[in-house]
Amino acid sequence: MDAEALQSIVATNQWGAIWPEILLGCLAVVLLFVDLFTKSRGVITVRIAIWSQVLLLVFLLGRFVFGSASGELGSHYFSGMILQTASTEWARLFFLFASICVCHIGGVYLASRKLAKVEFYHIVMIITAGLMLLAQANDFLLFFVVLETVTIGFYILVAYARHSRFSLEAGLKYLVMAAFSSAIMLFGIVLLYGVAGNPNLPMTASMPLNFDQLAAFIAADDGSIANRGNLMVTVGAALVLIGIAFKIGAVPFQIWVPDVYQGAPTPVTAFLAVASKAAGFIVLFLLLRGPFADLDFLWVPLLTVIAVLTLLFGNIAALGQRNVKRIMGMSGVAHAGVLLLGVLAAQQVDWAYKAVWFYLFVYALASFAVFTVMAHVAPQEDSDQSLERYDNLIRRQPLLGTILIIGLGSLAGIPPLAGFVAKLLIFVAAFQAELYTLLGVALLGVVLSIYYYFAWIRAAVMKHPFVEDSETAEIPSPTFGSKVFMITLAAATIVLGVYQGMFAIGG
Amino acid sequence: MREFLFYFFAALTVVPGLFVAISRNPVNAAMNMILSFIGLAALFVMLESYFLAILQVLVYAGAIVVLFLFIIMLIDAERAPKSGWLTSLAAVAALALMVTGLLTLLYSGESGTFAVAGETAPAALSQTFGVELFTRYLLPFQVTGFMLLMAMVGVIVISRKDAAEDKGGEA
Repeated sequence: MDAEALQSIVATNQWGAIWPEILLGCLAVVLLFVDLFTKSRGVITVRIAIWSQVLLLVFLLGRFVFGSASGELGSHYFSGMILQTASTEWARLFFLFASICVCHIGGVYLASRKLAKVEFYHIVMIITAGLMLLAQANDFLLFFVVLETVTIGFYILVAYARHSRFSLEAGLKYLVMAAFSSAIMLFGIVLLYGVAGNPNLPMTASMPLNFDQLAAFIAADDGSIANRGNLMVTVGAALVLIGIAFKIGAVPFQIWVPDVYQGAPTPVTAFLAVASKAAGFIVLFLLLRGPFADLDFLWVPLLTVIAVLTLLFGNIAALGQRNVKRIMGMSGVAHAGVLLLGVLAAQQVDWAYKAVWFYLFVYALASFAVFTVMAHVAPQEDSDQSLERYDNLIRRQPLLGTILIIGLGSLAGIPPLAGFVAKLLIFVAAFQAELYTLLGVALLGVVLSIYYYFAWIRAAVMKHPFVEDSETAEIPSPTFGSKVFMITLAAATIVLGVYQGMFAIGG
Repeated sequence: MREFLFYFFAALTVVPGLFVAISRNPVNAAMNMILSFIGLAALFVMLESYFLAILQVLVYAGAIVVLFLFIIMLIDAERAPKSGWLTSLAAVAALALMVTGLLTLLYSGESGTFAVAGETAPAALSQTFGVELFTRYLLPFQVTGFMLLMAMVGVIVISRKDAAEDKGGEA
């Protein structure tokens, strides 16, 4: 390759375009050094981790709202591997917000346990940088490398509480299932790569891993041969979608969810439930609106079946659970079903895309509020959190009880909380897209979900006559910072229930 | 001759690969893996991708399998228990399904006509890899660096001795 061609490639490697990710990665490394050279274990590092990310979030938010970033939107970098749009800016904000919440919950969780401290924040921040890059990926190579980075981080985090047999078991299960799903996805990518480079088909892609070229290849049709009917294209696309279905925990690929959610430390469960799931949906959008846009005859029925199964299974399986982490796991599966409904609606109703974004934000707010309460209430063995432990919580710790009720109410979709509006928007979109069967199943799911969310709320507000006081151990009061954090989340949940205007920004 | 060699090395890749999966003794599985990697390296040689062939032997057959053997020794892995007939049946059914799927994919004609491979291998030289890796694929390359750093930190976190933790994490 001659020097000029190389020059033109290197010129697109604009590192400035991904400075937030680079900054996060560097901060993660700096944290390790700070911990090495300071004496106060854990206290300084968690503050640096949280406040530096808050600063970054505020800066990115300001840049996004006041539009100085809009000039760069829609541009490609790194030989077309990175594509920045308004929705990738949303994704950056979302993952950064999730990272801050997880660091805070992690601080609460680690404070009372003999576990390594700084490494937790280190791994969380690198995963976050990876997730932010994942949303901007426009090439299967970068996509897969970043996805694996994120997944490997999660392997470690799930098994982080290494004295707990639950955590180690969960780590092993997650390792096996995630590696399995990555292998399936990789096989799909390889098939797509192979077929897109075939010179005997209409339009041969010179860089078959690039999303734009792949989209053009799949759309290509020279009259006699249409690439979208090619068996290798459909099988490859189906395998990639199945790999993503594993990540979002959609039925029938949800087998790992309950055990991993129960065994993983509470902050990691929160991270998995919110950030990992959101990443799955962002990637799904990326693919369905990009390379797979012309394969709707394949993915519409595929995702419809998955969505119906997910909605029914998630809600029904959550009914019988007594462990709150398993409840969050199974209800998370049900939420994935609602989001899939939004994804399907977005095929015909364009604004459903924003409804899904709104749902993700609202789900994150409510979930993090609930998970923070869980981190406070959890016993030393974090996996063993039964409903009985929440007995009469509202009188023992009024703040925790109130936050829990607001969070669960929003997850269940009770007006005037934000969860209601989020569900309503998705259902209206589905109605406009004429997905009546799916809508009926989703409504049934909402009714079912009220049962198990309210069983939890009932445990928190009432005193169970058969639970002795000695069984409900003393719950320490949250620190001031934690109180502020939880009140902020709850307040945002209420405010977004009546005002959704800011989500009209961008794309 | 060329065709015979191809089938010979292909069999050398696939058959030991099967034994890796079904062998009950972990050391046997690792040894079979070496054989399988050598078969794969030979296939790369036949494609004139000498650099990939050398890497395959050096990195996989050399380093990675040795690492596997170390781990097998360290955790003192025992023979895997005999699997029940239901598990075996499921495995055979899955294998049959996958082979059928692959054959359908390749020979049903639904995948379009396949191109004939070019005479020269594009990735024969290490220079090709180096240039691409440090220009076009520099970003994924750097991301991999962070992945490895995080994995290293993670391994230390999960395997560190308790005594160090009790002193407040000084190790």
